[in-house]
Amino acid sequence: MQNVITYLTLFFTALVMQAQTETTGTANATPTKYQQGMNKAFQLWQEDKSWDAANVFERIATAEPDNWLPPYYVAQINVINSFTEKDPAKLKAQLDKAQNFINDATAISKDNPDLLVLQAQLYTAWIVFDGQQYGMTYSAKASELYNKALALAPDNPRIILAKAEWDMGGAKYFGQSIEPYCKDIQRAIDLFATFKPVGEFYPTYGEERAKQIQAESCK
Amino acid sequence: MKISVITFFALFFPLIIFAQNTIAGIVTDNKGTPIIGANVYIEGSYEGASSDDNGKFSFETSETGTQTLTISFVSFEAFKLTDDVSKMKNLKIVLRDDVNSLETVTISAGSFSAGDNSKISVLKPLDIVTTASALGDFVGALQTLPGTTTVAEDGRLFVRGGDAGETQIFIDGIRVFTPYSPTTDNIPTRGRYSPFLFDGITFSTGGYSAEYGQALSSVLLLNTIDEPTQEKTDIAIMSVGGGLGHTEKWEKSSLSLNASYINLAPYIAILPDRNDWQKPFETASGEAVFRQKIGDGLLKVYGAFDTSNFALTQEDVNQPDGVRFKLNNQNFYTNASFSEMLKNDWTIFAGGSYTYGNTKVGIDESDIKDVENSAHFKLKLKKRFSNRFKLNFGAEQFVTDFNENYDEPNFAAKLGFNNNISAAFMEADIIFSRKLALKLGVRGEYSKMFKEFTVSPRASFAYKTGKNSQLSLAYGDFFQQPENEVLKFTNNLEAQHTQHYIMNYQYSANNRIFRAEVYRKQYSNLVTYNEAMPDVNSIFDNSGDGYAQGLDIFWRDNETLKNIDYWVSYSYLDTERKYKNFPIEATPSFANTHNLSVVAKYWINDWKSQIGFSYQYGSGRTYTDLNEPGFLQKKTKGYNSVSLNWAYLLSQQKILYFSINNAFAFKNVNGYQYANTPDSNGNFARRELRPAADQFFFVGFFWTISDDKKDNQLDNL
Repeated sequence: MQNVITYLTLFFTALVMQAQTETTGTANATPTKYQQGMNKAFQLWQEDKSWDAANVFERIATAEPDNWLPPYYVAQINVINSFTEKDPAKLKAQLDKAQNFINDATAISKDNPDLLVLQAQLYTAWIVFDGQQYGMTYSAKASELYNKALALAPDNPRIILAKAEWDMGGAKYFGQSIEPYCKDIQRAIDLFATFKPVGEFYPTYGEERAKQIQAESCK
Repeated sequence: MKISVITFFALFFPLIIFAQNTIAGIVTDNKGTPIIGANVYIEGSYEGASSDDNGKFSFETSETGTQTLTISFVSFEAFKLTDDVSKMKNLKIVLRDDVNSLETVTISAGSFSAGDNSKISVLKPLDIVTTASALGDFVGALQTLPGTTTVAEDGRLFVRGGDAGETQIFIDGIRVFTPYSPTTDNIPTRGRYSPFLFDGITFSTGGYSAEYGQALSSVLLLNTIDEPTQEKTDIAIMSVGGGLGHTEKWEKSSLSLNASYINLAPYIAILPDRNDWQKPFETASGEAVFRQKIGDGLLKVYGAFDTSNFALTQEDVNQPDGVRFKLNNQNFYTNASFSEMLKNDWTIFAGGSYTYGNTKVGIDESDIKDVENSAHFKLKLKKRFSNRFKLNFGAEQFVTDFNENYDEPNFAAKLGFNNNISAAFMEADIIFSRKLALKLGVRGEYSKMFKEFTVSPRASFAYKTGKNSQLSLAYGDFFQQPENEVLKFTNNLEAQHTQHYIMNYQYSANNRIFRAEVYRKQYSNLVTYNEAMPDVNSIFDNSGDGYAQGLDIFWRDNETLKNIDYWVSYSYLDTERKYKNFPIEATPSFANTHNLSVVAKYWINDWKSQIGFSYQYGSGRTYTDLNEPGFLQKKTKGYNSVSLNWAYLLSQQKILYFSINNAFAFKNVNGYQYANTPDSNGNFARRELRPAADQFFFVGFFWTISDDKKDNQLDNL
């Protein structure tokens, strides 16, 4: 069973590709402390200094207790870096930290599809690490989170993509048709064209990944 | 010169100098090693920095006055310093290890656990049900762990020289009074409860926590699932019956139902065994778990009902026509618990259980009707003072009301008793560092029936000897009342007593676990009586005693061989006791010296199949040869059995499952029955006690229907 799950989930490492755009409030006169901080964090992240970026997000999180985005990004960096972590003690510490920040963010913003997807990715990190131990319980939990996220945001291309990619892995393994998921990917790509994030610094990643999957699997 | 320049500037531009304070220092761990990448910042501001490759940090801040500086890093406890900003220079920050980490030592003496995220897990959740010899019975899977004895004809857990009654089973911390379906000689029983409702199992073979009592040898703790992952329906069609399960979820609650029906009649019609069945084994059972979130608390209600019956004639050396035996049992168990996190790191747990058991047994002309009503109530509080000190205390009450009606054509009797036990416990968990942890507890029990008060101290200690290894020690006193079979005749007794001394070494790294445990168990106050089968006129007292000592070894490796996961358990046991009607200290027939289990699972990707293998060996068990002087002086041949299973995934949600127990049809003899009277040559005739069938075959089809089309019942097999 381990291999099924590992296969099902390996593609998540691809989420490391964070196409975070720098949507600064350039129209405004002077950026606020918050904008400066967030820009600095994204800049560090793009310079491959993800841990320094996480530290900046963590600082902003303490200063902005009502904003779910800083804890979301702290958690996301910890989750993404866990996919390549081999030391179980470090892995657990990182994922515990990510879980704490997801909990903080969820307390600020309930039923947030981006947080649900991130929680599913956290479970996926456990499954990738040890499919036999965590596969059964966590893959069911992750599936449920994707369903819930999609129900909350049926037209969000990033959620459509995440769920389609998850389902595709299972279908491929059992030799079932991935056609319906390719349709979902196509729909996500169409929606990305007109996708506008709700606000500044909101997650925007996914379009590149959708195109990549389409090119690899749906031709 | 320099000083005067600074003084000059300070005098003229005081604002410039004092408006920007530089905060600087170094972060290390407790060994002085620099911590790289620690987050250092003033709380609530945007100002801060990460420590560099030498653990040094430095940043300017416009904040003034008293502020809180936070220094945090993954797997260390965050450090907070509140002071005037101007004084935050040349700081030497030493971060303490976060003891809530995988690297922290855990007390592992005596216990095995199966479940997620547990640091002492030796079994994974799937193992409980994919072990070839277990046939879906979680007790069967635990019998592949060291410390257990192979008593194949019984089916219950025999731990470290203790008999089956010395192990108690708890569901969500609440006792199960009748965990096994009743059966007769030579027909192994099974655990009543379906493994699929549980997500955590801890099996302790000794030295367990003060929270648990009334068990001389061992406790088995089962936890029901807090929150099911999704709605689904499970259908099982098996060669011996069928099962149906369904889970429904709502916003704050969920309900899981599980029903099964087993009938061995068709199987026995095709493959007759050594018994002459008038009514082959038939059982119907239903289970339900309801969970409701109330605020921050969780209420769980578990209920299980089952009814089973069979009738057969068994061979008997004293009766040429055999002994007629029929059994009819109804059992109901319900358990409710509520737990909630309160303010200031307090947690409250309250729970209770009620058991109703009704068993009618007919042996030839006699009829025995037993009715047991039992209840258990428990209230527990937990206070977490810090990650390093936790206190756990509570009180509980056990109530048993047992009645028996015995009827023979010329004789009738009514027997029964009321047993009330009150208990209180307190336990502290102290973690000195990642290397050293201590658990100290004490338990007091008062038995109304015996008017007796007992005190049991418990202590365990763990020390980390290396990055991946640790040493644990445990000591404890354990009391248990005699079983119903004795209490129904007398109440003029005391609790039976054991003391456990355990030393455990554990090494675990890279998906490999090695455990070795040595122990000594001292029995005292065991119940003795003066007849082979106790009755109203028997004389009972607490003059029995005994010991058990040995070595348990466990090795599991999921790394060396690709796609193969295997474990090996070996137990060495040396035990003697004087109890029941033993004339001398002797090794009881349920204990043997050597036990070995090898379990392997091989995943074949191309076949989408998991093949399981298990081998059980038990060295010979004692029996009394009436034709020679002595008591329990002979040993049977060793026991051998190889079981195989194959789970084939037809599609994501359909599984085909085959299994065969004792594939090579080893001829096993569990013991001998001797005639009551010698024949004309003065010889006592004897009969081999063989299993009813040497082999058992099983075929099943398991189908799961859920929204995500992914879940399956591989974890139920």
